[in-house]
Amino acid sequence: MSLLEIKDVDISYGKNLTVKKVSMSLEKGEICSIVGESGSGKTTVIRAAMGLLPGGGRVSAGSITYDGMDLLGLTHEQWRELRGHDISMIFQDSGAMMNQTRLIGDSYVEYIRTHEDISKEDAWAKGIEMIERMRLPDGDRIMRSYPFQLSGGQRQRVGIAMGMTYQPKLLLADEPTSALDVTTQAQIVRQFMELRDEYGTSIIIVTHNLGVAAYMGDKIVVMKHGEVVDRGEREYILHESTNPYTKLLLDAVPTLGGKRYV
Amino acid sequence: MFDEKDLLIEARHVTRRFPTNDGRLLTACNDVNLKFYKGKTLGIVGESGCGKSTFMRFMVWLDTPTEGEIFFHGKDITKMKGAELHENRQHIQMVFQDPSTSFNPKMKIKEIVCEPLLNFNRISSSEVDAKARELLELVELPGDFADRYPHNMSGGQRQRVAIARAIALEPEFIVMDEATSALDVSVQKTVIELITRLQREKNIAIGFIAHDLGLIESFAHQVAVMYLGNIVEVMPGEGLSDICCHPYSRALLNSVFDLKMDFSQKIKAIEGEPPSPLDLPQGCPFSNRCPDCVDDCHHTKPTLTEVAPGHLVACHCCAR
Repeated sequence: MSLLEIKDVDISYGKNLTVKKVSMSLEKGEICSIVGESGSGKTTVIRAAMGLLPGGGRVSAGSITYDGMDLLGLTHEQWRELRGHDISMIFQDSGAMMNQTRLIGDSYVEYIRTHEDISKEDAWAKGIEMIERMRLPDGDRIMRSYPFQLSGGQRQRVGIAMGMTYQPKLLLADEPTSALDVTTQAQIVRQFMELRDEYGTSIIIVTHNLGVAAYMGDKIVVMKHGEVVDRGEREYILHESTNPYTKLLLDAVPTLGGKRYV
Repeated sequence: MFDEKDLLIEARHVTRRFPTNDGRLLTACNDVNLKFYKGKTLGIVGESGCGKSTFMRFMVWLDTPTEGEIFFHGKDITKMKGAELHENRQHIQMVFQDPSTSFNPKMKIKEIVCEPLLNFNRISSSEVDAKARELLELVELPGDFADRYPHNMSGGQRQRVAIARAIALEPEFIVMDEATSALDVSVQKTVIELITRLQREKNIAIGFIAHDLGLIESFAHQVAVMYLGNIVEVMPGEGLSDICCHPYSRALLNSVFDLKMDFSQKIKAIEGEPPSPLDLPQGCPFSNRCPDCVDDCHHTKPTLTEVAPGHLVACHCCAR
């Protein structure tokens, strides 16, 4: 049985059908990349899997199951149990998901104590341990900082540390490196790969960077206008696929030592 | 490497320091020397905060350097004032990163693209409609877009409008600050094709800021790599991945996710982040992250040295 199974899912905002008949499945320890241009519905799909569709959005057809459990029928209580514990999400800018007027440590402690019955001191120590495991030196200083005092790469590492606190089986990452410099992006991607190797975490990464998608993904799903237009193993997508849209996207990526325009 | 008679802009020893609230100085650009040639593209790459945008803003008079000179047709543009400055602005134009915030949302596209022309009395207001159509067609947009508002267009279309506005005055030099990084790859490709075509047709010099080495390699004639306000390497754009030798340039190159890379290899990312520009390390600015750092690097700052024609490197290890 797959860890996550998305089957013929339609998602609509009001009367507008934005995502049509999307299906995909993810095994344990597998990484799947979803690529596509802005507005192709790639973020909407993983938000649906997290039960986090923004106001007015709903899954109007199909089913999403996680570990055999129907996610669409969950109550708020059940979602709270699951989110941040079994399924975590990393956003494009992890700093933005935190309260700007509270210390990172305070947000972190609150998060830990929602899921676990421990003292504030222990939660604080756990936060430091996770942050340092994500290769951020001086975890205590990070915990005592406000989100805006950290660089983009540091914030993203804190986001990953938070998401990985309970070693979720499934990590959903929405453009986690798009706001970062190339060097920081490489560091974060390496961190994701290590999570998979160490903890066997399954990851869905949504990105418009085809290089990152190809490097990380065992499987790649190509979306366009709310539909899956192509899917397959990485090698198939990169070299064998005959889908014109996949080819167009691949062709547009500048490669080192590739085509020159001048 | 380029013909010196095509020299258009030369920046000499340009330094910019910003005072901070606690009385210290932040050095954003440190002794930058660069040359821009007619009809050629100079790409500037580096991490955020390395000073690449700060430097380019001098060209369009959005800021002035603390020290140094920038010569445009033999005249120092940093000292220009009044009518002379106004006159020269039309020769240098800029395209910004985010096309959704670089237009007045209440202006129609035709007003946007023709505003520079009206400012310099090149056309009369009765000619706006025809001229806007012509400019839009030049950037491969339908002429009917002239009556639209910016919010009615996609990001790629808006960036084309920004380019149309920049070329309206037929400038000699255009600054493009990450002009394609807000766009999807397929759109980015068409915009780069457009830019290079216009450059060929109109012999425009371009200063292009980017952080994607793969992209910059595909169309820049020369590339400058910046780190912490210093130019650490200047090289020809063609075959950049084979010739670049500064450890920082190599680190940038290794961080690029290329479709042709070996996916089974771990990506070689340099550790850490650049130090704060408020307290620069003594010696080489890259010394605390450099894998090949030797003792010398901590004490003396390397200067740009020519290692091949048109290829300058500031590194103790490479220069030998």
